[in-house]
Amino acid sequence: MKVLAFGKIAEIVGNQEIEIDNLPNTEVLLGYLRQQYPQLQNMKFTLAVNKKQVSGNTEIPRGAEVALLPPFSGG
Amino acid sequence: MIIISQKLKNMENQEKKRTPKNIFVNGPIAPEKISKSIANHATKTDIGGHSIFLGQVRADEKEGGTVKAIEYTAYEDMALQKAFEIREDVFSKYPLTCMHIYHSLGEVKTGEICLFVFTSSKHRKAAIDACEELVERIKKDLPIWGKELVDNDSSVWKENT
Repeated sequence: MKVLAFGKIAEIVGNQEIEIDNLPNTEVLLGYLRQQYPQLQNMKFTLAVNKKQVSGNTEIPRGAEVALLPPFSGG
Repeated sequence: MIIISQKLKNMENQEKKRTPKNIFVNGPIAPEKISKSIANHATKTDIGGHSIFLGQVRADEKEGGTVKAIEYTAYEDMALQKAFEIREDVFSKYPLTCMHIYHSLGEVKTGEICLFVFTSSKHRKAAIDACEELVERIKKDLPIWGKELVDNDSSVWKENT
């Protein structure tokens, strides 16, 4: 699966795109990410699975694109 | 031949259905683009009122310096899909003739324009209300990020409230 990072999170992760083994749901993914990048632990962000914003634990389809979205600041 | 012309007709009908439009402009939105966009509506004589919102990059004071520019990035695919949904929703809510949305990507210096929202209607109220709703939803719902570049070479990620 593909993980996309944006804004401040892209700076923390050091990459805009990372490829990882498929994980079953967003809770497992968040656990993995917080372990890999401890700075994410005190950051506010939401997730989008295949370009749709999700809330709560959500199933991740195989090969999905999951995006880490810090608070928006367009306009 | 008949089948072919019917197929063409079907294709024409399908094209009339609105699809996601690109809203992104590289760098600042030029004032000339805005005046040209206004001029383009001269032929649409059922319009009685336009409403325009222009977002401009402000020279905010930050710790250690003054903002000199904002660098915009976006999750483009998702932003365009979301902008399309907002567009359809606002079109269905207000009797509008036209709607245009442009947002900058990349660096926009203080004093330059980074957002251009333009609505037109028969009467002013729909144009004004739709324009306001669009601006609010663009700021709240589109995955776009602005990094304020400060003149001491530091930077601050903006956060919309």
